[in-house]
Amino acid sequence: MTNFFVLLLGEIKRLQRYNILSASAVVALLWIGVLYLTELPDITFIFPMLIYVDATSMAILMVGVTIFFEKQEGSLHTLLVTPISKLDYLLNKSIITVASSVITLTILYLYVVIFKEIDMSFLGLLGAVILVALFHSLVGFLLTYNSRDFTALLINMMKYMFIFMIPVLLEYMQIIQQDIVEAILYIAPTKAAMILLYAPAGETELWEIVYALGYLGIGSIILFIFVLKRFEQFAVSESGV
Amino acid sequence: MFQVRDVTYRYPRNRKDTIKGISFDIRQGEIFGLLGPSGVGKSTTQKIMVKLLTDYQGEIYYRNKELKNFDKQYYQEIGVGFEVPVHFSKLTADENIHFFKKLYRNQANTDAMMQRLGIYEAKKKKVDEFSKGMKIRLNFVRAVLNNPAVLFLDEPTIGLDPANARTLKTMIKEFRSYGGTVLLSTHLMSDVDELCDRVAFMADGRIAEIDTPQNLKMKYGERKVEVEYDTGNEEATSKVSFDLDTINRNEDFFKLVRNKKIITMHSKETTLDDIFIKITGVEKHD
Ligand SMILES: Nc1ncnc2c1ncn2[C@@H]1O[C@H](COP(=O)(O)OP(=O)(O)OP(=O)(O)O)[C@@H](O)[C@H]1O
Ligand SMILES: [Mg+2]
Repeated sequence: MTNFFVLLLGEIKRLQRYNILSASAVVALLWIGVLYLTELPDITFIFPMLIYVDATSMAILMVGVTIFFEKQEGSLHTLLVTPISKLDYLLNKSIITVASSVITLTILYLYVVIFKEIDMSFLGLLGAVILVALFHSLVGFLLTYNSRDFTALLINMMKYMFIFMIPVLLEYMQIIQQDIVEAILYIAPTKAAMILLYAPAGETELWEIVYALGYLGIGSIILFIFVLKRFEQFAVSESGV
Repeated sequence: MFQVRDVTYRYPRNRKDTIKGISFDIRQGEIFGLLGPSGVGKSTTQKIMVKLLTDYQGEIYYRNKELKNFDKQYYQEIGVGFEVPVHFSKLTADENIHFFKKLYRNQANTDAMMQRLGIYEAKKKKVDEFSKGMKIRLNFVRAVLNNPAVLFLDEPTIGLDPANARTLKTMIKEFRSYGGTVLLSTHLMSDVDELCDRVAFMADGRIAEIDTPQNLKMKYGERKVEVEYDTGNEEATSKVSFDLDTINRNEDFFKLVRNKKIITMHSKETTLDDIFIKITGVEKHD
């Protein structure tokens, strides 16, 4: 077994032991509750929004919380003096995060297919979720690097939510309707995320899809390189999370 | 095994160098002690040598190859014991050990080691339910679970009761007897006296002195006899000391012994403790 898989299995076991797995199960149940309470039989309109909230915020939270734990209990230090490359470590965290978002998507999609109506292909949603969760797991690293402690991490997450996540959500709920604001929101990675998640409904223009794919794809590559470079500095600093 | 040449290091956000140009060699099969008062840079030196801090100036050679040219495979050959707890706290001791063990090509008999250190019975307990001393013992097992060629130990006996400290020291000596090399940072003189073949005294980010404990004692040592006697007036006593090497010719000493009532008489050799204070200029706090 290569060290990559040892790390992966260890990570899964810890998600379970540190109750992060049950926390994400609770969140998934919460989403099902929301879907259950929705009066509309066809939930094609609301479904991507739920997935949007889950794949962005849960991805950031999962990376942040697990690294915070590892740094606090010192196990991160130990990992650094074992034959694991930082690339293995970072890939592991991102893969686990993406997998968790994919599982949530699958559960919610099954629920909707069985009890409600939806007019979106699963594969399209799957692709979108993978890219969105990957990008946001890297955002999670970035926010963690720049947080002195857990409180600072939570505050940084809040900032990301208020600046990027919520405005886009309000736009899609048609609470924000000014053209100028909608135009400005193209700067936000969360807008690209929302475009991709709605694309499987089949009403998105091609240029928008290309833009969103480009933004999150190239963005992920740039973020990944940056996160990789800064990892050691973060890991050995005593003051960081 | 290691050649450290004029290494300096500064932490990213600091304004001053923490390590200010240190040079020393560690030979294969020896226990090399790094000694010095708190905050002098022992742990920092160790972190540099285990490649946790890579931004140093100067050169470090391991098996004649610059440390910077080693990749993660370096960790197959070394074992690192930290001074702080370093385990997954919500996994059991056993789960921790097995997880880390699987990352290595060489795997030691950890059960036997846990047994010797008295934590085998508790191996199904979560690490956050361990006492401080148990965590320290587990740290040691984790450090050697890959049968390393070089062992880095940072204050390995701090927080252990005397019996466990003894077992641990025996295990460190056994490690050496199988050809292992050890870098041991500590401020406990008893550990140095007992374990180290050579020792480097650090003071303010520099190395003040490197030698064997015996040579250091000879060099800085004074051998004297301290005599406490009854002065005769009321209940007062007085103390004088005499040089042990010239005592057979010292008339004052004979006079004193003949005429006064001796209360105590001790021969005193300089301990490493005294040398520590002399070299580093710092009173040690335990
Ligand atoms: N991550 C860090 N960032 C900035 N400065 C640091 C960091 N770690 C240690 N230092 C500083 O470097 C100096 C040396 O610290 P180090 O931990 O190497 O000391 P030490 O000799 O191991 O002390 P002790 O005996 O207390 O363990 C100290 O002044 C400390 O404040
Ligand atoms: Mg230290």
